Amino acid sequence: MTAAIAGIGATEFSKDSGRSELRLAVEAIRAALDDAGLRPADVSGLVTFTMDGNSEIAVARELGIAELTFLTRIGYGGGAACAVVQQAVLAVDAGLADVVVCYRALNERSGRRFGQAYASPDPDAGWHAPMGLATPAAQVAMVARRYLHDSGASADDFGRVTVAARRHAATNPYAWFHGRPITLDHHRASRWIAEPLRLLDCCQESDGAVAVVVTSLERARDLARPPAVVAASAQGSGPGQYVMTSYYRPEMGALPEMGVVARQLWRRSGYGPADIRTAVLYDHFTPYVLMQLEELGFCPRGEARHLIADGGIELGGRLPVNPHGGQLGEAYIHGMNGIAEAVRQIRGTAVNQVPGDGPVLVTAGTGVPTSGLVLASSL
Amino acid sequence: MTTEAAPSSPLAAADLLLPAGETPAKPGRDPVNLPMIRSWLEAMGDANPSYERTGTAPPAMIQVWTMRGLAPPSADDPLQVVSGACDRSGFGAVVATDSAQTYHRYLRVGEEVTVRSRLTSVVGPKRTSLGEGWFITTTTRWLVGDEPVAEMTFRILRYRPEKPPETPRAEPIRPVVTADNTFFWDGVAAGELRLQRCGACGALRHPPGPACPDCGSVKPEYTVATGAGTIHSYVVHHHPPVPGRRAPYTIALVDLAEGVRMVAEYRGPRPEIGDPVRVAFDAGLPVWHPDVPTLDPWELHVTPTLIISTALATRDFQNVHHDRDAAVRLGGKDIFVNILTTTGLVQRFVTDRLGPAIRIRSIRIRLGTPCHAYDTLTFTGQVFGDRVEVTGRTASGVHVTGTVEVAPPDGAGLSGDGAVAS
Repeated sequence: MTAAIAGIGATEFSKDSGRSELRLAVEAIRAALDDAGLRPADVSGLVTFTMDGNSEIAVARELGIAELTFLTRIGYGGGAACAVVQQAVLAVDAGLADVVVCYRALNERSGRRFGQAYASPDPDAGWHAPMGLATPAAQVAMVARRYLHDSGASADDFGRVTVAARRHAATNPYAWFHGRPITLDHHRASRWIAEPLRLLDCCQESDGAVAVVVTSLERARDLARPPAVVAASAQGSGPGQYVMTSYYRPEMGALPEMGVVARQLWRRSGYGPADIRTAVLYDHFTPYVLMQLEELGFCPRGEARHLIADGGIELGGRLPVNPHGGQLGEAYIHGMNGIAEAVRQIRGTAVNQVPGDGPVLVTAGTGVPTSGLVLASSL
Repeated sequence: MTTEAAPSSPLAAADLLLPAGETPAKPGRDPVNLPMIRSWLEAMGDANPSYERTGTAPPAMIQVWTMRGLAPPSADDPLQVVSGACDRSGFGAVVATDSAQTYHRYLRVGEEVTVRSRLTSVVGPKRTSLGEGWFITTTTRWLVGDEPVAEMTFRILRYRPEKPPETPRAEPIRPVVTADNTFFWDGVAAGELRLQRCGACGALRHPPGPACPDCGSVKPEYTVATGAGTIHSYVVHHHPPVPGRRAPYTIALVDLAEGVRMVAEYRGPRPEIGDPVRVAFDAGLPVWHPDVPTLDPWELHVTPTLIISTALATRDFQNVHHDRDAAVRLGGKDIFVNILTTTGLVQRFVTDRLGPAIRIRSIRIRLGTPCHAYDTLTFTGQVFGDRVEVTGRTASGVHVTGTVEVAPPDGAGLSGDGAVAS
């Protein structure tokens, strides 16, 4: 049996939703079910992130779902984004649930902002936050500095990632940065956050919610929309893994956990990097886009700067990345908006549609145990 | 506005003075002379005999020779013109913030010095910890005849004093102490950098944990690291604020000599990957410092007599340096050390430690918190080749950070006096 994404839904993406996270979750799930042509009563499974503030039972109550047979969560922040879909696929494949909804709803700008300094009770964090390394940007900057040193890339190469994202967002009406493209000079002039990272190396903060509906391919074929087949799903953690601070393994300017994900995706889907039409790569911080391109096999280690040169990851380039504008340009919904974009690319309904009918790759949060999906229009 | 009228705003003054360029050469009141040199050395407590022996003036005295003293300011002095405009706009208080002096050669007794200066920039209004204000930067050159002998970039802040907002000082983020890492934090308290060592196979590990990933045994012990290592990567944190810390600050990931990595704050001049560092401990945390020769610290008890005698010996008659009532009225807690004296004390620290004959080529300082009467001012220094990085702290914070460029006397080595500790 094979599973597919049959419906996608979202709220608007804003800086102040003016409503509760639970209401955002309900709105996004209703939209996703409408999209699929299903009703809440059809849902038997709910999956979200451990960081999500809305319990499965509260969501079920608000939606009028009477019974659930599958409830689970995935940890490690944005690293969960594709793994929640994997959980849904497993449940459907195993016959534990017919229709599973994956959701993520957050008031990340108007509520708790993840970019602020945070005193975590986790003993792992105790080796970093007390020393002043207390924000995600600073924790990524440590890896980014070493990556620049090892690869010969420059801060402008980070800038090219954000320029591409903002170009794509500029023509996406759902993107916060719709109509606001930037140049490399804007990146160079933006203020320091944690050297070598500038403000425009960091993704935006957003309020909003996204939900996706997973069911069997067989059932999806009878629903309202063309199915986005989950050709492969994978989760991965690497050697000496920490949350955002995997500094103690021999090569720290790299993302071996994404390599773990990549090897599984290519093996299970039968596709390789050369087959991918467009890649939706998790972009909370620009340096990790370069490192992902390398770990996923789109270019050799340390050479992403050549792949992204001359608009290589922009629409019309060698590998269009994040045609919706990514989290840098569209919204930061912890990677779930990237899955929705991949589904639109499969359906052919994206605002910045990448031509062709090849598979689409999606990745989840980097610097943490992560996950990935390959979606295709057919088996 | 005509050029005769006094400019009404700092920016109007800048518009007037920036195109005017350098002022004509103005002579000092007296030639370079031994009595003023002796008074200056006495007030600074500087016993360096080399000036009198060679008939030269301490380089840090350069500004003294052309201070106007109590004479009214000349109409074309850029600092005075912009300051006047600041006064009229309500920015009445003043502090010096930066001084960067370069000495092309030492002055000799008997030489007649002239001074020329120009306005470099006027920036504001800026929010500062003292209140809203304007930064005024000037560039000054001193000449003997046609020969430039020294130059200086000088910056002051003219501000409207404000009480600092009453923000509760955020508590710094504390370590997470568990049964698996108590040994490490006990070590920090004891001034040791402890690394976990497996009691079975001897493998070293950081961060520590209960089990050995190499051999699987659950027999954690520790060894004490030398504290030396090299920078593997580093971050300069700017934003957002982190509780208990003042940005920007630097955090470094260090490859310790023993073969494990560790994160801690780094204090020192901007590092590069590969730079050698050594651990120290502060406020219950390890801190990296550049692994370079260190000057023995110097603790100076700052008396009112020191502040007043040095102010007068530097011909600085601003009331905040000798009149406690005036200093308090202007928002201070007492009289405070003037910037010419801070420069002189930095010079004294370096020549006391590196030897009286060491040549001072430049002194670049930035002032932080004022140094008031009855403060204890502690100087520390690190030697990077021909550059000495100096910090002067009081209980209130960092009073001065600075860089002194030096040259060995007649080609001799830098650390010949044995005053350099490692």
